Amino acid sequence: MKLTDSGESRIRGYLYIFERSLRSFLSTEVAADAVREVESHIRDAVVEAGDVPDERAALERILNRLGPPMRVAQAYSLELVMDEAAATGRFTSVLRSLFHAATTGVIAFLAAFGLFVGYAMATAFIIIAIMKPIFPNNVGFWMTPNGILRSSGVNFPSVRDGLVFHTSYWIIPGALLIGLALLLLTHFLARRWIAWFRNRRKWRLESQ
Amino acid sequence: MLENWLEQLRRGTLELAVFLSVAGGPRYGLEIIRHLEEFTDLVLTEGTIYPLLSRLARDGFLTSEWVAGEAPHPRKYYRLTPAGRGRLNNMCREFNVFTTKIERLMKAAGRQV
Repeated sequence: MKLTDSGESRIRGYLYIFERSLRSFLSTEVAADAVREVESHIRDAVVEAGDVPDERAALERILNRLGPPMRVAQAYSLELVMDEAAATGRFTSVLRSLFHAATTGVIAFLAAFGLFVGYAMATAFIIIAIMKPIFPNNVGFWMTPNGILRSSGVNFPSVRDGLVFHTSYWIIPGALLIGLALLLLTHFLARRWIAWFRNRRKWRLESQ
Repeated sequence: MLENWLEQLRRGTLELAVFLSVAGGPRYGLEIIRHLEEFTDLVLTEGTIYPLLSRLARDGFLTSEWVAGEAPHPRKYYRLTPAGRGRLNNMCREFNVFTTKIERLMKAAGRQV
């Protein structure tokens, strides 16, 4: 089948979406190789189709069998990002994997969200520990006169109506300890979850 | 229900099928897909075979090489590495043991194999 200009445009459109989807997560080099391979697949399938009366229908059939470009891209990039996260355990790779996985379904979104919350809380505790020496009168606990905790952490201004400010430099090691423990725990859980998700995903992809 | 069960079966065997497709020599993507289609119904969406090939290459079981000149466009050929061949041998052995046991079980239950 010799493609007309409109057929070529259709292929370029498919590859454009595919490449754009890949490049949001992968390096230019890896994405370019994947695009080149999928283009090669399409060109081979076009040659294989031979002379057909309806080029458009034949091309749509070829692209439908290949799958939607975003779905194919997602399968590619998720595998790569997750492999990197599982192999290295780097924070950036793990966070990218969580972000990417969150787009694949409701349960994955909720799990990734929970892990993001864990990371955010750990970061907040560490920030409290760092800020205490810089703003000693703004980091601590705010309690009602009868001893009920109403607020904790960092507050500007530190004076709050009807509340008593309590603070101590013990908040630094305390917040650091909690922050680091939370960070390690969240990271451990994130890696375990990514490993599980990666295997499950592998199986799902291979069955499609 | 039967469809789910078939899906589970496909899940476990596609990697083996891909290894078997390239066991006889290097093949490119569409060639692997057509070979699998000729003998099985494992590939439902062609695009999903490429991430699998990519992973097997990253895991060191396959190597890939772009070849230009044999078609109007370059093709990426995959071949088994020694580690891939070892894995294929192990998978074939385990698969044979598995199917033999299931066949025995079916015979014991009076089912035709």
